Amino acid sequence: MSLKSLTRDWQPMSFGFLDASAKREIRRTSLKAIAVPGCQIPYASREVPMARGWGTGGLQVSCTLITPRTRIKVIDQGADDSVNAASIRRFLARVSGAPTTMDTLEADLIQSRHRIPEEVLQDHQVLVLQVPNPEPLRPVEPNMSLARQMHADADYGRMWLQLYEQIVRSGRVMQGASYPSLVNGRYVMTPSPIPRWDVPKLHMARHLTLLSAGREKRLFAVPPFTRVEPLVFEDVPYRVEDHAGLSCARSGARGFFMNEIPQADGSSSYEISDSELGVKSIRQRDNETVTIGDTWYKNGEMAG
Amino acid sequence: MAYVATRGGARAIEQSQRLFRAEMGTITPERVAEVRRALPYLVDRVMGEASLYDADLAALALAQTGGELHEAVLLLRAWRTTQPRLTVADPVLQQDLFTHRRISAAFKDIPGGQILGPTLDYSHRILMTEVLSGAAQTPDPVDAAAISAPAQHPSVAAWQAENGLLSAAEPDTRCGNDIPDITREPLLFPAQRAHRLQSLARADTGGVLALGYAAQRGYGQAHPTVNELRLAEAEVIVQHPRGTRFSAGRVKVSQAEVVAKTGSDLRLGFAATLGWNEVKVIAAATLDLNAKGAPKGSATEEEFFLYHTEGVEASGFCIHFKLPHYVTFQSSLDAMRDAKARDQAKNQARAAETAQATREAEPTP
Repeated sequence: MSLKSLTRDWQPMSFGFLDASAKREIRRTSLKAIAVPGCQIPYASREVPMARGWGTGGLQVSCTLITPRTRIKVIDQGADDSVNAASIRRFLARVSGAPTTMDTLEADLIQSRHRIPEEVLQDHQVLVLQVPNPEPLRPVEPNMSLARQMHADADYGRMWLQLYEQIVRSGRVMQGASYPSLVNGRYVMTPSPIPRWDVPKLHMARHLTLLSAGREKRLFAVPPFTRVEPLVFEDVPYRVEDHAGLSCARSGARGFFMNEIPQADGSSSYEISDSELGVKSIRQRDNETVTIGDTWYKNGEMAG
Repeated sequence: MAYVATRGGARAIEQSQRLFRAEMGTITPERVAEVRRALPYLVDRVMGEASLYDADLAALALAQTGGELHEAVLLLRAWRTTQPRLTVADPVLQQDLFTHRRISAAFKDIPGGQILGPTLDYSHRILMTEVLSGAAQTPDPVDAAAISAPAQHPSVAAWQAENGLLSAAEPDTRCGNDIPDITREPLLFPAQRAHRLQSLARADTGGVLALGYAAQRGYGQAHPTVNELRLAEAEVIVQHPRGTRFSAGRVKVSQAEVVAKTGSDLRLGFAATLGWNEVKVIAAATLDLNAKGAPKGSATEEEFFLYHTEGVEASGFCIHFKLPHYVTFQSSLDAMRDAKARDQAKNQARAAETAQATREAEPTP
């Protein structure tokens, strides 16, 4: 036995880009985050060859979890072909040799910005959400250190007050995306800026969701089968976007989250936001054989 | 469809990069060497903000990005991430620095003397337009002083501490891998002093200047006096695995001590960075000076200034707003439209009620 047989040849870049110490830190942080659902765990957050705010948090988690056999899917605003998603997918494939896919059903690891796919994720799948601002209390407390103390005390009074004031002023909760949600009955988290449409998909889900903010250096998780409850008052129910009745102008699919495309005549047309589900729907319409998985929403209604 | 391209994302990305690089032409080793030679202060600034001391790599980063400073710093930081950590050097002591320039505004003269060194401070800021018409400007040779200045100097703060004017900070005795490292640990508040000084050393020059200037102009509690400003070279002393200590080379460093009177004592603010960058260390030392007791959320409070002077994070977040945000926008639109519709319905109902009331109040003929 020689030293050479025990070691690998020198390589200009580590597998998965990050070095072993960085990956170890992410793994430990992820385990903590899973152990305390919804709690923001600080981590060093190394610099990666992408600008901060462009998915560096999600990228570090993906780089840590990836193996040469992990099938990866990357989406931005629901689209696989968005330029930044394409750039991240190319980077992940380049540093790991991992295969890529656009099909939600085939993916082992899905890195996403602002959307959860419409097809139900299974227990072997991991969803990595890119998080610009991990702090749901930011609108009521911009100082991270004070917000951290408020989480420790489960001091969410100002959060509730903010929601109440919105109802008083505007007749409804005005929160758009990133709807604050209580995880496992303890920590309020921001589900990252996914639309309200997607938040119920996290509740008691079979898959693991890791949410990582690279610039703000915080990682949190929703483990499988964990309660995720949007903050609502008993007499004012949670409302997702009013998209149930819209249909996609290109694929004809109906009852999913849509992108609104303004038209020159002043009207609006709609396209399905989950681009791959759109592609599948078009192919199905054209009588090709495609497998569309079980979807969280059926006829525009979240399946109970 | 060029923005969220139908299926052509990768190609569009490739072509956009070609367009950007086309303007800069061929990058050669000569160009990189020329950037390094001609723009030492820019190279220093980039090395400081990247917290990576390698003038060749910094010059390459500048050449590769066409001088887009935040991009150049990011390139170096991303490269730095991948480098193994071989050893931790010995602490650099002020009195051991090979000093090029060292001035104090607090005293007319100081032990070791005021050494002006290389500076444009007293130059007249007149453009050498004749260069453009072909008259190359070669600097006049420097006349050596009759008595050369000593290479090493004690710090002014040390003299003040000796004379009971200043209560020096407790020295942090941790060494080697026990030294807190902002690049391997998260920044939490209240920050460890090592983290605060490391963050300031890596901070964006412009950002530190903006907030430091705000503090100097009156939004801080303490008015700084420059106790000592120093441009120097530091020996990087490391230990060989066999035990020998040796210098692995010298790095340029800048450091500033600023002081302010608090009661019967002087309070000290300190900053140091890799490379020669005077504005940055004076502004950063002012922030350090003002941090103690600053109200939470004010510009001189450490959480505020450390987060917001982190150039790579700040610039990255700023430009991320270029990314598509149509899902979040759609979500807000939905809430807005619904609120508007409710408002309208309420107004209509109110108008109808008023009309009804008016009708009822009218006397029947």
